[in-house]
Formats: sequence, structure tokens, C-alpha cells
Amino acid sequence: MKGLLIKDFRLMKNMKNSILMIIVIAMGMGAYIKDASFIITYLALIGVTFTTSTMSYDEFDNGYPFLLSLPVSRKGYVVEKYIFGLLLNGGGWLLGSVIATVAGAVRNTAPVRDSLMMSLALLPFALLLLSVLLPFHMKFGGEKGRIVMIITMGMIFAVVVLGAKLAESMHIDLDAALEKLPAMGTGTIALGGIVVGVVILLLSCRISIGIMEKKEF
Amino acid sequence: MLKIEHLRKDYKSFSLDCTMEVKPGCVTGLIGQNGAGKSTTFKAALGLIRPDGGSIRILGKDIRDFDAQDRKKLGVVLSDSGFSGYLTVADTAPVLNSLYEDFDKAFFLEQIHKAGLPDNKKIKEFSTGMKAKLKVITAISHNARLLILDEPTSGLDVVARDELLDLLREFMEKDEDRSILISSHISGDLETLCDDVYMIHEGKIVLHEDTDVLLSDYAVLKMDERQYEALDKQYILRCKKESFGYSCLTNQKQYYLENYPKLAIIKGTIDEVITMMIRGAAL
Repeated sequence: MKGLLIKDFRLMKNMKNSILMIIVIAMGMGAYIKDASFIITYLALIGVTFTTSTMSYDEFDNGYPFLLSLPVSRKGYVVEKYIFGLLLNGGGWLLGSVIATVAGAVRNTAPVRDSLMMSLALLPFALLLLSVLLPFHMKFGGEKGRIVMIITMGMIFAVVVLGAKLAESMHIDLDAALEKLPAMGTGTIALGGIVVGVVILLLSCRISIGIMEKKEF
Repeated sequence: MLKIEHLRKDYKSFSLDCTMEVKPGCVTGLIGQNGAGKSTTFKAALGLIRPDGGSIRILGKDIRDFDAQDRKKLGVVLSDSGFSGYLTVADTAPVLNSLYEDFDKAFFLEQIHKAGLPDNKKIKEFSTGMKAKLKVITAISHNARLLILDEPTSGLDVVARDELLDLLREFMEKDEDRSILISSHISGDLETLCDDVYMIHEGKIVLHEDTDVLLSDYAVLKMDERQYEALDKQYILRCKKESFGYSCLTNQKQYYLENYPKLAIIKGTIDEVITMMIRGAAL
């Protein structure tokens, strides 16, 4: 596990220029844009993308057979990717939150408490990103994975829209249900969201292990 | 060390049925043409593909129970796969150090420098020979009990090949219980290194012999039609029609030397034997 983490951090060296550039852009956004939540999701997404990039590096030149002949189980490989993903995704989220909070305080656009609440509320989305992207990448590899994921997301979106339309035709009031949410308190929602996010992440990890165990190299 | 019994793997246009064994202290060669089933056998032995039948026992364990901890006792070279090309040698050392408790970093770095490999160049920029050397050095640097080497010398020039084979000999000398399974399509490598050799053709093992016996007792007999008719064929393994008459492969060279002094008898080499086994017909 530790060996694989070292490998992935070493692979990240190949992306150091992009990382620096992205941090500079995020800080620029902090200074100029109003919606600080964008900075947090942006950096969290970048963290996930970097994780899948290390998988592309692993895949490069048919690297998997060798990697899996090292003292590494397939399950171990997957779990390591999720840990690495959490570190980068979490790192991106944290950095984004710091930038957003500092920018909000310095520019006097948002009180620190609001910024922190927003960060917490966005954490489940960050986890969701990781939970969706990694299994797709495991199953289909870099290029194909992206295409399949976009199609799937489109389909999910279509299902949600159809579901909403269906609810509307059946006279179920979704707006009223959504309006009840704030009554539960932002903290409770954020906490609930995080719990759901973690459960989805664990489920996603389980699925990825299944995908990897079935593969032939 | 490694025991493969009726390993079966079926693909659309290819079917493997392989039985072989690597004994402790032995270097066993697997030789065959491209596409004969060498890499499939290796991949199955490493658990990279799922067999359709048969059994594989490696270091006393069934391959299905062979876990990450057990893999520490293996050193592996795959012909078409290695560390990500985006890493450097300096990156791989700490990775190996964490993966293998017995990783000998000083030995690894010494061999890297001896082989003239640069520390900070990306592996994808290495030449074929440099990559091959890195793979072998990686495999021998953590006190493995069994090396599984698929075409470790492919793409190397004569001098580089010799250096690699020397590394493998040194590896064997350090501990008499170590073993190597090595495949190659360059028979010269195997003649000088292996204790025994398996020949694989179209997914099947067609010959298994000690290298000494193969080199001393096997021979190709060349003769015209008349000599062929008169020949005692009980020790002839394969026969091939030629423009001048016939070529026959025997594993009893002495018998024919003594009884047919007029025949042209060419000492067996792995190349001669494999060519006859594949292209000749059984009687």
C-alpha cells in the first residue's frame, strides 16, 4: 500500500506545473469571482482528475501486468487508489475551502461561518465525484471511461428530469419537500450529506474491487 | 517451486494445454515461437489471467491462494510490461523499498550504476536494452526464491545479453534453493543457462529434456533416400523431407554414430531440435 502511494506521489511530479497553475488560477478566482463554491468544487474535481491521471500513467505502455505481479493484490491496488483519491480530492476541497473562506473574509463578501458551512455542504459532492469517476476509469480505462461516463451522466440527468416530470404529472410537490430541508438546519444537512457521501464512496470502492478482480491482464 | 498441470486457457484461435515443473535449485527454460503460448503460461502462473482448467502450484500454494505477501518471494520480468514510463529509476527505488521487506537498495543502486542506467531520466526515454536491464535488476534485488522471466533478453545485443545472463548466474549462485523459469526465443541464452528446457508449440509442450542430454544425445541425421530406407527408425523422433533426401531428429546420437558411420550427423542444438520438432513429422 505504502509503496503504491509513493509511486503515485512520484507520478504526480509529472503534473507539478499543472498543479501550480491550477492553484494560481484558484487564487485568482478567489480574488475576483463572487461564487466561492465554484473554487471548492473546481479544486476537488481537479484532485479526482489527478487521481485518474495516475491510473492512466499506470496503464501507459501496458503497465498493469507488471504492477500486479509486484506484492500488490488487486483489492490493495483499488483501495490505494481510493485512499490516494481521498487525499487529493480532500486536499483540493480543503485548499478550495481555505481560499474561499479567506477570500470571503478579506473581500468582505461572506462571513467565515457561512463560508465554512458552504465548504461542509460541498464535501459530499466532492466525495460523489470520486465515487463516480473511479469505477468508470477502472472498468473502461482512460479514453473510453470518459466517454462512457459522459453518456451515463446524461442518462442519469434524463432520468432525474423524467422523474421530476412524472412527479409533476402525478401532482407530487417536489418544491414543498425541498423547502422543508432548511428547517432541519444546515449543519444536520451537511452532516447527513457527508454520511451519505461516505456510504456511496464505500459502495463505489466495493464495485471497483469487483471490476478489478474480474479483469484479465 | 512451480508446478503446472494441464493448465488450460482457450482463446478464439488459440488453445493452451501446458504441464511443466520448475524444481528447486534449477533454471528451467521455456522455448517456443512467438504466439506458441509462453506468455499465456507466464501470465496464468502469475495470476494475471484466469485459467479455464488445470492447476498451478507456486512455492507450494495454489495460485488462487497466492497473496500479495507470497508475491514478495517472486521476481518477475514481463516482456511487454514494466514500471510506468513516467517514473525514473530514482522513483522506483523507494517504491520497491516499501513493497519488499528484503529489498537490497545498495545492491539495486550498485547494479543500476554498473549497467550505466541514469537515475533521473524517465523510463519511457530508455532504450530497449536499458529497460530490459532495469527489469532484471528489479527482479533480482529483493532476495526472491523464484524468478519468472518472460523474454528478459529480447531486443538486447550480444554483449548486453551476456551481462544479463551473468546477473542471473550470480543470482543462482547466492542460494542453492533459488529457481528460475525463463522463456526466450533465443536458444543460445537457454543453452548456457538452463538445467532443463521445455519446448512449447501451438499451446502444447512438445518436448522436455535436460539441457545436457539435449546437447549430448540429440542430433540431426542427414541422409539420402536409400540410406533412409535402410535406417533403423526406433530412436527417430521426427523426420523431414529435404531436397537431398531426409533429415531425422534422434535422441540417441551414439547409436547412430556407431551403427551408421556414413551418415552426416549434426550435433543437436536447441535451434536444430526445435526446428525439427515443429517442422518435422512424427513417424
